[in-house]
Amino acid sequence: MNLSLLRRLLCLALICCPPILFAAKVTVDPNQWGDPLGKECISCHEKASPGLAQQWHKSVHAEAGVNCLDCHKASVDDIDAITHEGQVIATIVSPLDCSRCHTVEYEQQKGSVHSEAATIIENRLPALAGHVGGDAIVAAGCDQCHGSKVKLRGDGTIDPSTWPNSGIGRINPDGSKGSCSSCHGKHRFSKAQAREPSACVRCHSGPDSPDKAIYEASKHGMQFQSHRDEMALSSDSWVAGKDYVAAPTCVTCHMGAAGKLKATHDVGMRNAWSLNTPISQKQQLVVFEDGDKLELPESHTSPKRGSELTKSDGSMGKVKAVASPKRRRQAMNLVCLECHSKSFAGSFMKQFDGVVKLFNEKFGKPAKSIMQALYSEGVLTPVPFDEPIEFTYWELWHDEGARARHGAAMASANHTWWEGMYLVGRNFYARFLPQVEMVAGKEMAKALIEEHVKSLDHHQWMDKPQKANPILGYDVTRQNNEQ
Amino acid sequence: MSSRWKLPDFITRHVLYALVIGGVAGIGFMLFLIEFDHLTSSEAFCTTCHSMELAAESYRQSTHYNPVSGVRASCGDCHVSEGVFAATWDHFLGGKDLFSQIFGPDYDDPVVNVLHLPDAAFAARAWFKSKESATCKRCHVLEAIQGKRTDTNAIHREETAGKSCIDCHINLVHRKVPDEKTFKRAQWHRMIEEEFGLEAGMANQLMAK
Repeated sequence: MNLSLLRRLLCLALICCPPILFAAKVTVDPNQWGDPLGKECISCHEKASPGLAQQWHKSVHAEAGVNCLDCHKASVDDIDAITHEGQVIATIVSPLDCSRCHTVEYEQQKGSVHSEAATIIENRLPALAGHVGGDAIVAAGCDQCHGSKVKLRGDGTIDPSTWPNSGIGRINPDGSKGSCSSCHGKHRFSKAQAREPSACVRCHSGPDSPDKAIYEASKHGMQFQSHRDEMALSSDSWVAGKDYVAAPTCVTCHMGAAGKLKATHDVGMRNAWSLNTPISQKQQLVVFEDGDKLELPESHTSPKRGSELTKSDGSMGKVKAVASPKRRRQAMNLVCLECHSKSFAGSFMKQFDGVVKLFNEKFGKPAKSIMQALYSEGVLTPVPFDEPIEFTYWELWHDEGARARHGAAMASANHTWWEGMYLVGRNFYARFLPQVEMVAGKEMAKALIEEHVKSLDHHQWMDKPQKANPILGYDVTRQNNEQ
Repeated sequence: MSSRWKLPDFITRHVLYALVIGGVAGIGFMLFLIEFDHLTSSEAFCTTCHSMELAAESYRQSTHYNPVSGVRASCGDCHVSEGVFAATWDHFLGGKDLFSQIFGPDYDDPVVNVLHLPDAAFAARAWFKSKESATCKRCHVLEAIQGKRTDTNAIHREETAGKSCIDCHINLVHRKVPDEKTFKRAQWHRMIEEEFGLEAGMANQLMAK
């Protein structure tokens, strides 16, 4: 077989099995929607709630004949069913409701870090929101991004501390997790809106994940601003490198189709690292037969296909597939390669990995070890956030630490250093370590710092007077002369 | 002349007395009914039963009790039909509530009361529906419904074919009860048990009594 024949066969193979390049088309028979009873809602809602009625009129849903009842219909047995103008409906349209048509997207987002956003922080929430904040903050703050556990009352109303809510990990009355409207603004459901970086800003902002700000400060964000008219944001097919090349948005890298890479609604799939943890870990993604997912640190032995494993909710699941951190990084790299060379993308990832490892080794691990020692020695009470050092430690990894790591992941120099690692360093040297001495006393603090900090090369500079520098006004020349 | 005014032979003096007395008694009876219906439609009368005082609590928080217009709807204004015969009939039917109050469950107990509330609400809604919300329309005139929002008037003119007030407007005055179609008694019981700090299953026991 000569080379050209092989090439031809390869081409044929590619044509015969085209990869899915963009979000799956709805395959449901159109007879399944357009409930005639739902058409009756419209004329009244045009008057009663003209805003949302107009939004729907402009939507692709309206164009396709998908009406109010198609999404809002409920069965009388549904816990959140209400009677409205003679129809049995539910106010909340859950991802499970959307999955009547958007099955593929539902299956993808199921078990993702997005749909698990409430579950993930469930055991942290009482300490932070309960002690430092309060119930009102949980409802209007935390749960608005992470998602509430929607509670129905006996009189058919929804507990107002849990609704309105479009937190992305919302636990819905039907048991499904997530909220499609978190990114896809209700009633209009515009593709363009969801592809905008601003779709993410409601939650990906603030001290711990200022991702929109990071993106805007990066070259990618700059290019997007300048060439947004070339972004084909409303296009049906939206493959990076094919339908648009001006810039990537959040969606492009984390979910979008690029070249051979398929689009996915599992937003965390391409993340090799965990970045919002006290110490970052490379993580492998375990997908179970039933669609549930689990993040396992790389250090954990890779589970075999078909083996049984404990899921995050404690139940057992059969492993269907495992994506190693390497595979996940490769997927992300495929996006880069639509514009960058292999070596460019590879070296960028090395710079990013370097920042994560630096944070881990220099600050994350020592600070965590010291905190654990302070708790086990009884120096700190077991109650979180009743001592200043606990705030210092929290902000060290959760705010500044995460900011530095996100900054490096998305190429904002400023967030990586001044808004990130510089503040981590300031927190560590000028607050955390002095506070260790304040709570533990000179002797214990000295032992702890010797063991966990000064033993590391990263911190050797502290005891080296020859490292003097004029940056803060010290007269280095005089000192050298005196020696 | 006199022969022209002569009464028929069967109108004897006794018959004449009977007619006058009967007529006066009849007028008196009608006046009594009007007064009776009026008196028994008042909040003061209805709340002579303690169980009705529980219903009045939420009523006194409602806009039907304290409207900005100063027009206060009393119990009978909504729950008793207009017209002396219809009103009397409604009161006659209402007699069964009095019977239940005396011989039925202890409606004076707030827990028992609220456990039975959904059934009362469903019955009241069915009554309003059967009357095409006639008592609402005593005050609320379709043509006069303007509303605060631009389209309230249009909605009431254009979107109400085949409907009367009660079809859309429920839970305005008394404690909120879901529509019968989607009502779930187990959830209602759980809510009441939580509210009154009762052990699980107590609501079922109380209802079985």
